[in-house]
Amino acid sequence: MKKLIQYELRKIFSKRLTQAALIALLLLSVLLVFSTYQNMYASDGKGCEGTGRTAVEVDKAIAEKYEGLLTDEKVQQMMTEFKPKQDLHGMNAVYLYQNALQSALFRSFSDLNGDWNGLSVSDVFGNEKIKIGYTYGLLKTSQNMVRIFVVLSLVIAIMTAPVFSGEYGGVDNIILTSKYGKTKCWAAKVIGSILAALIVTAVVSAINLVCAFILYGSSGLDCSILFAPVDFATGYIPFNITCGTLLKYQILLAFTSTISITGVTLVLSAICKNQIAALVASAAIYFFPIMLPVTEASSLFKIITLLPLYHTQFVSLMSVGQISGNVLYALMAVPVALIFMGIGVFISRRVFANHQVS
Amino acid sequence: MELKTIELTKKFGRKTAVNHLNVTLTNGVYGLLGANGAGKTTFMRLLCNIQTPTSGKIVLNGKNIVGLGEKYRSLLGYLPQQFGYYPDFTALDFLLYVSALKGLSEKSAKKKSKELLEAVGLSAESGHKIKTFSGGMKQRLGIAQAMLNNPHILILDEPTAGLDPKERVRFRNLISVFAKNRIVILSTHIVSDVEFIAEEIIMMKSGQIVHFGKPQEITSEIDGQVWECTVLAAYAEEYAASFNTSNLRNTDRGETILRIISDRPPMENAVRVQPNLEDLYLFYFKGDTEE
Repeated sequence: MKKLIQYELRKIFSKRLTQAALIALLLLSVLLVFSTYQNMYASDGKGCEGTGRTAVEVDKAIAEKYEGLLTDEKVQQMMTEFKPKQDLHGMNAVYLYQNALQSALFRSFSDLNGDWNGLSVSDVFGNEKIKIGYTYGLLKTSQNMVRIFVVLSLVIAIMTAPVFSGEYGGVDNIILTSKYGKTKCWAAKVIGSILAALIVTAVVSAINLVCAFILYGSSGLDCSILFAPVDFATGYIPFNITCGTLLKYQILLAFTSTISITGVTLVLSAICKNQIAALVASAAIYFFPIMLPVTEASSLFKIITLLPLYHTQFVSLMSVGQISGNVLYALMAVPVALIFMGIGVFISRRVFANHQVS
Repeated sequence: MELKTIELTKKFGRKTAVNHLNVTLTNGVYGLLGANGAGKTTFMRLLCNIQTPTSGKIVLNGKNIVGLGEKYRSLLGYLPQQFGYYPDFTALDFLLYVSALKGLSEKSAKKKSKELLEAVGLSAESGHKIKTFSGGMKQRLGIAQAMLNNPHILILDEPTAGLDPKERVRFRNLISVFAKNRIVILSTHIVSDVEFIAEEIIMMKSGQIVHFGKPQEITSEIDGQVWECTVLAAYAEEYAASFNTSNLRNTDRGETILRIISDRPPMENAVRVQPNLEDLYLFYFKGDTEE
């Protein structure tokens, strides 16, 4: 069995299309990591400003000054420090970006002119304890990972589509007449596909996280995502979870998406006579929820967000609800992924074992 | 060992590929002959349980092969007509993979793979990727994979297609040695291959068996119906088109000797000759290209 799984892994990773897709995914990860890093800007308002590494250092230095729980005193201190020194020419001060902490502050506590809007911490966040620090780099990483995980899902579909359908070009004759063709070989194919998908997901997640920790550090992991710059204002997750929790959920959802898409693609691979048909059908199912005219207000939204696309997009799913404390409705993605995989395992077995060669 | 088909039928829509076929196969080499579309490949696939019969069943020693599952497949070796492979696998890798599918231990898989590569004349190419192989080399690799598990039932669908004469001789010898106490079924269009190694001939037409027997026995069916006639070379083609002609041979005297299958003398100088399997094939399948 171990040998058969090794052969299945070899078949998956030796396909040219898979190799090209994996290289493209790796390049996309690297490109997004470094372009985000290079495009970062920060100014401390005292003459020190810059992009890339300088911006991260400026942001971190400012965050260090105020790190800890957000209090009304800190709000006042920061309002004084970050008060706009130039004429805004009618621009809403919320959209004035000097540095990450200033942007997060103005989003909640500034009026149009950049003066305090009169709200206290409890007015804005209720009884939640908001720990602040340097979170911007990690939040940006999370944003990038959404794109990367969407592409990753397609790569998983590319890897899995030929698992059964790729054999229908003639090797099925040999497999299905061999002793373990309808039993262990099928199991090896399913296990090999899941392993390959999990390995790739783990590697891609690890690359992104390691890059993030190298470039931005890990000090923001225990800080709240609610005190985030203006780019994370509209439609972002409304719960007081830490950056670390956010990343844990996102990675978990990347894995649930991977498992779901593997399950779906295994079924299609077993059914379709050729791998391109399986791939196209799998991609169509994955992107199908985009076409659905369901808004967040609809009761169906809770169900729709459990489809694999929303696992990778993750913000909508994580915004649906909070079960208790740091436990979010998004955890429902786990049983859903297992159901998708269960369907994949069950149907692919039936279809492959009863496949009629032609 | 007895492999038996009972009222075996396979339909594809309105077309009946195998029609209420009843045959009993015991140890021996069976040559399956028939024109394209006669149902040979479908019959072989049904025997391999990779196509489900529309009705009827196949039993091995009295047990339905569907119920036997792994037990039946462990006795089986199959070379399909269109042999699929992994282009980036080497010949040895491919055989090791098939060995794993057939449940061979790693040690015996290596031993057996090397032996068979040697037997089919591919040991020098064992480390080469299959995508670099010629058609004949792929076919030989296909033959090797079918024999990996020392199958008790070996089914070969056109095993000699793409093999040159030397390779065909090698194949025939390989099968002759291997076939003892086993059921070997092979289909081919090259009648001489069957003639040399098959103990029994199964002739199929329109999904049914029209003849089953030893080569000498079944050729007796057309005893007295095969003739050789000598004509001027200039008229040879015209005569050949008018009769069921199995062979034309030119002489150095500007004449052609025609071998004709006919129930009465085709011309005055016709000489009656002993029929062979090719004559019988043509007797049954002249003009049959149903696919």
